[in-house]
Amino acid sequence: MAAPRFALFPLFALAALAAAAPAAAQRIVTSPRPDSVDVTVYRDTNRHASTAFNRQWLGGYALVSETRRIRLPEGESEIRFEGVAAGLVPQSAIVSGLPEDIVERNRDAYLLSPGTLIDRSVGRRVHIRRTSLASGRTREFDAVIRTGADGAVVLETADGFEALRCTGMPETITYDRVPAGLSPRPTLSVRARATREVTATVTLSYIASGFDWQANYVATLSDDGTRADLFAWLTLASNDETSFPNADVQAVAGYINREAVARQPVEAAPIELRCWAHSTTSDIPLETFEPTPPPPPMAVLQDEEFALRVTGSRVQADMVMSSSPIAVVTAEQETLGDVKLYRIPEPVTVAANAQKQVALLQRPGVPVEMVARHRIWPFTNGATEPANRVLIARNRESDGLGLPLPGGPLLLFSETESGRPMLIGQGQIDDRATGEDIEVWLGLASGVTGTLQLPNRRAGERDYVLTVTNDSPEPIRYQAEFYNYGEIETDVPLGRHDGRPVWAATVPANGTAVLRFRKER
Amino acid sequence: MRPILCLFILAAAPALAQPVIPPPSQSAQGDVAVTIYNNDIALVQDRREVDIPAGRSRQEFPDVSAQIRAETVTLTGAGVGIVEQNFDYDLLSPQALMQEAVGETITLVRTNPATGQEQRERARVLAVNGGVVLQVGDRIEVLRDDGLPVRVIFDRVPENLRARPTLSVTVQSEQGGRRPVTLTYLTPGLGWQADYVALFDEAAGRMDVQGWITLTNNSGTPYVNADVLLVAGAVGGQGGQRVVRRPPPPPGSLRDPGTETAARERLGDFYLYPLPERTTVAHRQIKQVSFLDVRAAPAARAYEFRNAWLGTMDEARSASSVLRFSSSREQGLGDALPAGTVRVYQRDARGNPQFVGEAGIGHTPMGSELGLVTGLAFDVKVQPIVERRERVTAQRWRTSMRYRLTNAGPAPVTVILTQDGLWGDTRIAQESQPSERISADSATWRVTVPANGEAIVTATFDSRY
Repeated sequence: MAAPRFALFPLFALAALAAAAPAAAQRIVTSPRPDSVDVTVYRDTNRHASTAFNRQWLGGYALVSETRRIRLPEGESEIRFEGVAAGLVPQSAIVSGLPEDIVERNRDAYLLSPGTLIDRSVGRRVHIRRTSLASGRTREFDAVIRTGADGAVVLETADGFEALRCTGMPETITYDRVPAGLSPRPTLSVRARATREVTATVTLSYIASGFDWQANYVATLSDDGTRADLFAWLTLASNDETSFPNADVQAVAGYINREAVARQPVEAAPIELRCWAHSTTSDIPLETFEPTPPPPPMAVLQDEEFALRVTGSRVQADMVMSSSPIAVVTAEQETLGDVKLYRIPEPVTVAANAQKQVALLQRPGVPVEMVARHRIWPFTNGATEPANRVLIARNRESDGLGLPLPGGPLLLFSETESGRPMLIGQGQIDDRATGEDIEVWLGLASGVTGTLQLPNRRAGERDYVLTVTNDSPEPIRYQAEFYNYGEIETDVPLGRHDGRPVWAATVPANGTAVLRFRKER
Repeated sequence: MRPILCLFILAAAPALAQPVIPPPSQSAQGDVAVTIYNNDIALVQDRREVDIPAGRSRQEFPDVSAQIRAETVTLTGAGVGIVEQNFDYDLLSPQALMQEAVGETITLVRTNPATGQEQRERARVLAVNGGVVLQVGDRIEVLRDDGLPVRVIFDRVPENLRARPTLSVTVQSEQGGRRPVTLTYLTPGLGWQADYVALFDEAAGRMDVQGWITLTNNSGTPYVNADVLLVAGAVGGQGGQRVVRRPPPPPGSLRDPGTETAARERLGDFYLYPLPERTTVAHRQIKQVSFLDVRAAPAARAYEFRNAWLGTMDEARSASSVLRFSSSREQGLGDALPAGTVRVYQRDARGNPQFVGEAGIGHTPMGSELGLVTGLAFDVKVQPIVERRERVTAQRWRTSMRYRLTNAGPAPVTVILTQDGLWGDTRIAQESQPSERISADSATWRVTVPANGEAIVTATFDSRY
């Protein structure tokens, strides 16, 4: 290229204008797609494990490493990488494998659009095509665009000066060629030199936004409620517009710090023609290459004419199978520095705007405890509250687990007597390392209630009275955790959990349990 | 939906391998069982007969809920191993079609505005950024920039663009063949609640109660000939006690929780309400099924009045009219009551039932005492008045309250009068009739107000403030 480009990264798209001088000796080598690709997905660190990701707006990111075989001509050439993720963060791109050093690396975001076409054609000869509505005949003539500044396009024709599309006739500009420096999509390119013609294996890696992943746990509780089959999915999603077929895919669990990156906006604004007959050059909205806001829910998409019966064969009820799926491909876990890496053992496709699930882990028969629990706060007075259902497990080898558990939502299933699976709880696991305790809050147990009565000091009472009821025909394990009480006195021994006093009791079947306690002064 | 469909048919003309969209009257659902919870969540279990070849294959599952929570999908079947599950929501739309066509060749059909003659041209799409830039022959132009009619015809629909979000599961099977598989998933959009109709006979002190289950489907998909099970309870959601730094709220409907077990199927903490027979739950349909019918359960009218703090009310206010009953086996409805609304009716002089108020209840265990505030009593009013407030010592105050209770009705009534807000070590120094201290913060009097008469209660409170 004859005209030197400015910096390594043009800060403003306008810079590209200056650089648009005729391409001289430089040859353009376009690499349309990677030969092989490796995608590592990182979670959105601002999203809590309990929050499912919004598939239309993913806050995580991916490290994409691509290998491309590129034929380089002798001398200097510009290599354009096509088929990269639209969410590419240009600052993060690394290109290696070229025979010599890269002269410069560019990402052009001055896009080909109706507006930029006019803008870049100012002072040039274009053609105007007018169509007569009466005869349908078209007439073409030459014109020179005198200005394309916002709000008006003024043309110089053989007749004088005219304003585009202020004639009331259908008219449009046609061009002989696309001005240099306008690309259909944001494009990453490098300028490189080779002393002779060579085929190089080039590796391009970059961080791209618009990806996320999480673990999704499915636990099936045994009939007696003491064991659970634990299964987890690695759920990853992409709302990028580029698909990566047959990619080696990894997911990273853990917290990785990131700093804010300024993203260079793309420029392709349509020109708004303001004249005596208002119109625009286009009515198709601008694609900004940022994640789009979620569309309205899908519920409206279907008609109500669906209700026809199916005469398919009925399956016997005794054919029901376990609600845990059987996975033949399970992600492999390894430790990478301070984070955990999960590798999908065979190539898979990370499709555009899609979600994918592969088994993350499977542990049958994990010993668990189901308890009903209240948190008792001072001033929680008088009102009757249902207890919370909590699933407790220990993440130790001796307790049937003992493996890193990346955070994510958990669904707890059980089966009715007839073998029908039932959802009996929803909660979440935060990132849990080996050795930690796991507590999953599953929802309310409306048949277990607690009522706290404050002491009546007028009568000289000091006793607080906590009454717990159980409407089930089975005794239940119950825990009351005392928050912000300091020390309390009781006649029964208390346990401790995270430094707080805990009353653990068994509430008899269809019965009540009562705790009297005093606050220590 | 319609414009998308039209486009699709248009594009399908060149008989290429296109995904088939089934006509809307057929459902691919098999034997469907739907379990519906109260908090906008349902578990759908769909047993389908699927032909699975030996080795790896990709199975698509149409006619699942339009709002399916794809991450909760589980597929099980004899000899079926899961490789991966995919949920693709790259949707087919005019804009997506055009975006995907960048670099490809399309057909333009221009219609002459005067003669109506059509002219076909091939064009290459150069860019779609706020407008479509085309190369037609040796000219660059912008699609429909001059506003003239131009049809765009695409040769094909890219494979990744779909009519609706599509669930697919890649499975591995040792043997090929047709077999039943079970697909389970969670979906929002299905919900239910209970509605109770209570016909109260005040003179007899009895009421008849009918319970109805109201089932709604806004999930975007009909469930055909489904086995429906309703679960009383909200599954999930962090309960966690609220920190209440104020006096207890006025009593809700549940006055005393019960500990009896209802004679219904239950699982874990939930009672199950199966619908008696299979039914089709159509999209945007409301379905009602009876589940409770109790005759002549004991019930009584009570009047309650609560003064929140030691203050004067400028005018007499109506007492709450409360319907009291029990859900116990011996003395009441004899069932656990799923959350819903109780609508109370009473017969007028001609014997026609008239609506007299409603109140919500939460999930109520059997054996509970309930008190539903159905409205305010027109004839029964109470006015609390602070008669004196004087400082006794530097720290203590004495407040004299007078409560005037009036009854314009032809029968005597009993009003449960509650004085709330008795913070700290507030004592009652003197009172005209004995009170009951129901909690540290509140005292109640049971006051009988004669027919067409009034009653006065006085009390003096000794408090720190």
